[in-house]
Amino acid sequence: MPSAPLRVAVVCSSNQNRSMEAHNILSKRGFSVRSFGTGTHVKLPGPAPDKPNVYDFKTTYDQMYNDLLRKDKELYTQNGILHMLDRNKRIKPRPERFQNCKDVFDLILTCEERVYDQVVEDLNSREQETCQPVHVINVDIQDNHEEATLGAFLICELCQCIQHTEDMENEIDELLQEFEEKSGRTFLHTVCFY
Amino acid sequence: MSGAQGGLSPRPSEEGPGSDGRSTSERVVDLLNQAALIGNEGKITILKQVQELIINKDPTLLDNFLDEIIAFQADKSIEVRKFVVGFIEEACKRDIELLLKLVANLNMLLKDENVNVVKKAILTMTQLYKVALQWMVKSKVISELQEACWEMMSSMASDIILLLDSDNDGIRTHAIKFVEGLIVTLSPRTADSDVPKRHENDVSLERIPRDHPVIKYSVLWEEGKAALEQLLKFMVHPAISSINLTAALGSLATIARQRPMFMAEVIQAYETLHANLPPTLAKSQVSSVRKNLKLHLLSVLRHPSSGDFQPQITTLLVDLGTPQAEIARSMPSPRDARKRPR
Repeated sequence: MPSAPLRVAVVCSSNQNRSMEAHNILSKRGFSVRSFGTGTHVKLPGPAPDKPNVYDFKTTYDQMYNDLLRKDKELYTQNGILHMLDRNKRIKPRPERFQNCKDVFDLILTCEERVYDQVVEDLNSREQETCQPVHVINVDIQDNHEEATLGAFLICELCQCIQHTEDMENEIDELLQEFEEKSGRTFLHTVCFY
Repeated sequence: MSGAQGGLSPRPSEEGPGSDGRSTSERVVDLLNQAALIGNEGKITILKQVQELIINKDPTLLDNFLDEIIAFQADKSIEVRKFVVGFIEEACKRDIELLLKLVANLNMLLKDENVNVVKKAILTMTQLYKVALQWMVKSKVISELQEACWEMMSSMASDIILLLDSDNDGIRTHAIKFVEGLIVTLSPRTADSDVPKRHENDVSLERIPRDHPVIKYSVLWEEGKAALEQLLKFMVHPAISSINLTAALGSLATIARQRPMFMAEVIQAYETLHANLPPTLAKSQVSSVRKNLKLHLLSVLRHPSSGDFQPQITTLLVDLGTPQAEIARSMPSPRDARKRPR
């Protein structure tokens, strides 16, 4: 018997590609999901590797879309950034920074080790109040469109399996082991407390 | 069975009629009658409204409707029983005297057949144990009933310590957090204790008068030290799960920072663990645990009283692959560094 719906967060660096791809799929599958970035700024590819487009977390996806449209419509159409921003603004108005969110989750999925470290460090630095546990799991996903799609499906499958456990906390260790074998990936996993 | 099912009539209240012309009491009666008839999901929504009305809007009604809410602890739904645990916590935080009536209910819920209800009850005990102790310390005269209530709280605390040996991994995780809180409460805060802002006013051992008629300082101090022993023993169990190991590592770091008098025991436990990681851990779990150990070692190192232990902590951190620069950044500045009083 599945228990109450899991409160899930997916976190990457800029809350644009990997976390939003997972956010999209998870919400379509009926999960209560939010997405975040842990970076100090939101970074999108620019005309050269050393010239990224940098925004703060207050900027809406729509504003970024219009900014890039104005700067170089052809480049940002061709590299898929406009398409991604268009998808993002249908999901929510703007990127959100994980460190600024005080909501409680049952499960937090991160998309790379550095982000996992930042999430765990942030959760540990907060003053504990309820001692309610939250499981943090890292699934490494390269920051490109294809990997984001594959990664989002993996995250979704993982969330579905966890959601359907009778007793999540008692089974999650074993379930992750099975997933590691099946997917050939390794996951970092820890528990933090609110 | 719920008293609400028999149908209720409004009780007198200080609250006047609301905007819809009904008093809060009338609204509560109405909601409780609805809750008795409705399916689970709706029931929780309604019960939460009742909780808001009688705990926050008009607490004078709390005592009146206590029995009706508590009757839901026999509900078939796990979520409803969890709600009742949460209600007990909020009600007792609003008025700790209510614990006299509710402690037996909380004890039953702590022994519920469902693990999620038990876990919720452990979380509530983590909050209420110290509130109850504070109440004992502040009371000028202690009735037999209050003394019995405290005895029951103490016995529930012992029961939760035993849950470190539960078959269920999640229950063990919750028990670890309870034991962490218990150790902090049952040991004295000192000048070099880290005190989280939220917990500044929490009671702990040093606030217990030596001549208290019921609470014995030395007995609680022994209980606190024994709880730490239990936690340390738990950590060296060869079949401990990686998640519970992680939880215990974090609890020890909290204890070291808030009660630096235990720093030696904590560092020793970290050293032992590092040298003997449980053989049952998978490769990725070893990575997760090592990463956690590093995080907590750095947080203990940053404590101004880490001075005596810096050589051991540094050795462990280097073994865990921490760059020297990162270790140096976490050293307390000489101005803050304090020698632990002996």
